[in-house]
Amino acid sequence: MITFVNTLINGILYGGILSIAAVGFSLIFGVMNVINLAHGVFVIGGAYAALVAWTRFGIDPVLALPIVMAAGFAIGATYQRLVIQRAVERGTPVAALLVTFGFALIVINGLNVVFSSTVRNISPSYSFLNLRIGPISLDAVRFVSFLTALALIVLLTLYLRRTRMGRIIRATAQSELAARLCGVDARWVYAATFGVGSAFAAASGVLIGMMLPFTPNDEVLWTVYAFIVVTLGGVGSPAGALLGGILLGLASTFTQTYVGAIYTNVVMFVLLLLMLLVRPHGILGSAFKGSR
Amino acid sequence: MASNAWARSTALLALVVLLTLLPMVLPPFYVRVAMSICLGAGFAVAWYILGGFAAYYSFGHTAFIGIGAFAAALACQAWKAPHWLAQLGIGLGAATLASAAVAAIIAWPILRLRGHYFTIAMLAVALVCAELASAVPAFQGAIGIGLPNIVPLSVRVELFFYWVSLLGFVLTMAVAMAIARSKIGYGLFAIREDEDAAQMLGVPTTRYKVQAFVISAALTGLLGAMFAWNLGYITTDSVFRGSLSLEMIVNCLVGGLGSLTGPLVGAIVMMAVTKLLLSNMLEYHLAFTGFIIIAIVLFTPEGLVGFVRRKRLARQARAEGNAE
Repeated sequence: MITFVNTLINGILYGGILSIAAVGFSLIFGVMNVINLAHGVFVIGGAYAALVAWTRFGIDPVLALPIVMAAGFAIGATYQRLVIQRAVERGTPVAALLVTFGFALIVINGLNVVFSSTVRNISPSYSFLNLRIGPISLDAVRFVSFLTALALIVLLTLYLRRTRMGRIIRATAQSELAARLCGVDARWVYAATFGVGSAFAAASGVLIGMMLPFTPNDEVLWTVYAFIVVTLGGVGSPAGALLGGILLGLASTFTQTYVGAIYTNVVMFVLLLLMLLVRPHGILGSAFKGSR
Repeated sequence: MASNAWARSTALLALVVLLTLLPMVLPPFYVRVAMSICLGAGFAVAWYILGGFAAYYSFGHTAFIGIGAFAAALACQAWKAPHWLAQLGIGLGAATLASAAVAAIIAWPILRLRGHYFTIAMLAVALVCAELASAVPAFQGAIGIGLPNIVPLSVRVELFFYWVSLLGFVLTMAVAMAIARSKIGYGLFAIREDEDAAQMLGVPTTRYKVQAFVISAALTGLLGAMFAWNLGYITTDSVFRGSLSLEMIVNCLVGGLGSLTGPLVGAIVMMAVTKLLLSNMLEYHLAFTGFIIIAIVLFTPEGLVGFVRRKRLARQARAEGNAE
């Protein structure tokens, strides 16, 4: 019973991280209909940025979070304007897909050259603290990361729902033509959306860096996880990402506890395949489209 | 017209004979490069049967390379044959059958997906296969498995594998050309242009897609076994590598998705560039590939073959304009 409760809690905590790692991917996919295969690169890039901040400048990862997010926004927006937008204007969605893949390869190569492919981790002083509630133990870093992830997702929801910019983004997603007729500069909106998506990816990287060991080559996994989360929960909405993330987190930890650690990825990928076959638009459907 | 076809077949035959004999005078390093070109072009053409004809871009074809490689290795472990040709036949046969069987099982559900979803689902298939090859002890993927040495004593090793790879490439190309000229081929072209319209006009789209998928997978598996034999010893990481899927796509893209010449030209160009020009910059291979992908998509989306063809047409049009 205690194993079960622990697994459940760990699954939810891990799910929160998966959600924040996927929410940017979901936003970009929902608004621009571009699958960003470089998403994992932004996640891992965030982890390395936090690593540098921690080892070189002694800045705590949690404090580095806003800086990393700002950098992620700038890089993402520039990358969208210089590369992605041109590929999209070439006409085919596959062109954009390939371009993001090419970008991912370049960055991964760069990270491998600069940081080597050794496994890294960030361990601030509090990283081995455990909160104990009766027989249930709670990893402090995971718990804090989960709360941070949750807060960021709520923030993003409010941003999309309540602010002028959020409204503009949603309007452009609904119909680019109509938005442009109302005086919206769609290309600028896309750049901003991509920037926000990248900032959230980078933020998740910082949290992941504190929780798990990482190497540059992990990026593929994070891209695929993001895709699975989005497929499970539904494209374009933060709520969908949260739901999908927690489901995937639970699937992962329960497999780990009750089936065997080597099968976690198999179960996660099979879950993706099943979901694609049964309901490719996710549990919450196209929640983003429904909300407009 | 008929004499034209004759001339073409004769030229093709002469080319194959030349390609068969040429490496006997080349130094071993270049024979290895030629072998890599044959395998690379073969993989690219096999990918093209689904990705080029029907525009179903698979990002996970390395699954079939791996399945072929492991099927060959496990089959050779189970059935030992005294003669090298028989052993080669067992390995390649097992590889082709295993890949075709797996493809046939997943074809129906996975081909219901389109566009991005198909692409990513194939990526997931490749990851599942790789994880299973490592996780299930019977497949021995984590520790690795060796393939028996089948090179006859009288033949140089690199020559033997060059000939095997050349055979694989010629076979793949022949199958692809046959498909392009067949009813399935035209059906696949129709799917590429507009799948819904094709279906409404009575093209059995599902059947054609499944056939193309299974053929593509079987050929990839066959070539994968050849690739594995050349390595000699395989692990999950060496045959289920994502970069192998990538190479197929990049070769097709560099050459161009317009015709079957594309994957061949792409494989030759990319292999020449990476093996010869960049041979002492190994650590920047990935970045270089990334730059090539971005440059091709942004500047010549029709690939090298399409680019040359367009230039030629433009020159012809200009020449005709001057003549008038």
